[in-house]
Amino acid sequence: MGYAIVQVLNALSFSALLLLTGLGLSVVLSLMNFVNLAHGAFYLLGSYVAVLWLASGAPWWLAFPAAFLAAALAGALLERFPFRRFYARPHLMQVLLTYGISVILADLMRWGFGAQILTPELPAALRGVVFLFDMPFPLYRLFLIGVGAVLGLLLWLLLDRTLWGAALRAAVTDRGIVETLGIDTRRLFAAVLVLSAGLGGLSGALGAGMLAAYPGLDEEVLILALITVVVGGLGSFGGTVAGALVVGFALTFSKVWFPEFANVVAFSAMAGFLLLRPHGFVAPPLRQV
Amino acid sequence: MGMLHPRDALHPATLAPRPAAGRRQVLGGLAAALAGLPLAAPALAQAQPLRIGMITSLSGPFTALGESMRAGMQLLLAQSGNRLAGRPVEFLVEDDQARPEEGARRARKLIGQDRVDLLCGVISSGVALALRDVVTEARTPTFLLGSANDLARKAASPYIVRPTKTNWMLGSTAARWAREKLGGARVLTVASDYAAGREYVGDFVETYRQLGGRPGRTLWTPLGSADFGPLLTTIAAERPEAVYGFFAGSDAVRFLRQWQEYRLAGRVPLIGPGAFFDQEDVLPAVGDAALGAFSTFHQSPTAPASAAFNRAYMATGKPLPGEFSTTGYVCGQVIRALLERTGGTLADWEAARAALFGAPVETAFGTMPFDPRNGQAILDIHVNAVRRGEDGRMVNTVVHTYPQLRDPGPDA
Repeated sequence: MGYAIVQVLNALSFSALLLLTGLGLSVVLSLMNFVNLAHGAFYLLGSYVAVLWLASGAPWWLAFPAAFLAAALAGALLERFPFRRFYARPHLMQVLLTYGISVILADLMRWGFGAQILTPELPAALRGVVFLFDMPFPLYRLFLIGVGAVLGLLLWLLLDRTLWGAALRAAVTDRGIVETLGIDTRRLFAAVLVLSAGLGGLSGALGAGMLAAYPGLDEEVLILALITVVVGGLGSFGGTVAGALVVGFALTFSKVWFPEFANVVAFSAMAGFLLLRPHGFVAPPLRQV
Repeated sequence: MGMLHPRDALHPATLAPRPAAGRRQVLGGLAAALAGLPLAAPALAQAQPLRIGMITSLSGPFTALGESMRAGMQLLLAQSGNRLAGRPVEFLVEDDQARPEEGARRARKLIGQDRVDLLCGVISSGVALALRDVVTEARTPTFLLGSANDLARKAASPYIVRPTKTNWMLGSTAARWAREKLGGARVLTVASDYAAGREYVGDFVETYRQLGGRPGRTLWTPLGSADFGPLLTTIAAERPEAVYGFFAGSDAVRFLRQWQEYRLAGRVPLIGPGAFFDQEDVLPAVGDAALGAFSTFHQSPTAPASAAFNRAYMATGKPLPGEFSTTGYVCGQVIRALLERTGGTLADWEAARAALFGAPVETAFGTMPFDPRNGQAILDIHVNAVRRGEDGRMVNTVVHTYPQLRDPGPDA
């Protein structure tokens, strides 16, 4: 009983991490039709910032806003040049550009933070453990589940229920018309990219306690985020939530039942699913340009 | 993202002022005469710089280990004034990205284009096995630092010297230790599912069973697991009396951190090969999660033979050394010993090899004789306990030593 509950919680906590990383990626993809392969680099930057912040002795909870701001700043700079010039270009050009940038960022981070593996000094408040029917479950992972749920909800409200979100969605559908209404769409798109980069950094800060931080993690995370977004349905918000849950549960329970073939089982299942539903869980509201 | 192709090369010959040719030849001749060898050939050999090529991982999953290996070798060369047996050394490093085909390509480049006199290096056993045929065909003397058992067995080569451990040395001694200290308890085994993990666990289980111990369930998990939560929950539910495990690098860090988060640390004894708790790569990143764990290893910062190297390495601003910085340094020590015994020439590899295997080499791993059958080092294997050092840091502390372990080699 305890075993099953803890394994479900394991899956949920991993799903929360996938959701956080996937959201940043899917926001720019769904709202701006922009493929950003540098997202993993924003994640890793957030991890490094959080590790350094938590080691510095400053109030621990500020590590998360700090990581958000650091990555958002990096996003803002990159948005001005060169991302902005590629919004209207085909996906392939965007992939080439952002992949190149992610390689540059990875080397800069290796130079700045070193090649060794870093882990955050978790605050005492998060280091505890809860026992469910005699099976231990770390408090930190409950925190991860909670934050994932809250952030997902906030983002949905922002994009779906505010005027700003409405303007944004309108700008995606027809940028020209929105411009004639007197809305500066350039600023709107810049804000989305900054938000996405910030989310990447924040998820890096939250995920550091589970995944640590080291060169190469950016790629691993990017791949997980891409899988999440693709399985969920390219660029729909609800799809990303569904994708995170499916991938999180598939990867966790394949480890429980077939530890030896965990990746084979999980990824074949997802590939099979995509064959049946090529558009993922939730069909995208995307116009292909 | 590891798309870097560093071609770091140290060219001391171009930095140091060159002595006049005449003086060089006189000095060379003098040295050769002292070594009791014919005059002309060594004098010529010494006039030329010695090119050492290193293939190691400077991107990909073993980046930190590769950088340590390079730093260890560089330290030895710096200590020797960038000259070995009187010959100036050119040190060329190539990145294998931990991929066998890339390693083989880099080796062909070093041999064919850069005309290196000898090769050394390699973290990944996959790359080591890929290099085996390349260097054997090219007849390039190679100091191969991977640790797959086959390198001392089926894949042994007359052109390969192995100044490091084989996986069998660690897996089998861990079983002996577990049998003695845990009295044959039910030991669960868990490891990354790749060549090294399979060998460590296979040798552990086989030896443990032979000694009358009871191996428990074996769990495998793919290399590069993001989350060990599900696996640790499974282990907790199994309630083993002890766990023998192997993970490396970031996997080791995640596993050990989560081992503590799931409250297994301190409750279930944990044993593994030394790389699981590497002094430089893993221990600094896991806090006290590994405290009390035991490992079997040919390297320990507290082994007396390592003391001088520890001081020199830390004087360069590095932490307490782990496996691969020590391995890089030891590899350099063995190359230096070989060249000193041949008067600086590798022209007759058969004779050079015999000279090296004729007497043990003093290294930071201790006194190192070689097995002439396969060029495999015979090593002291330490049992290290992770203990809190004086300054609060975790230190792999020697608690027992199995002396002079010799891989079964071709007999296995």
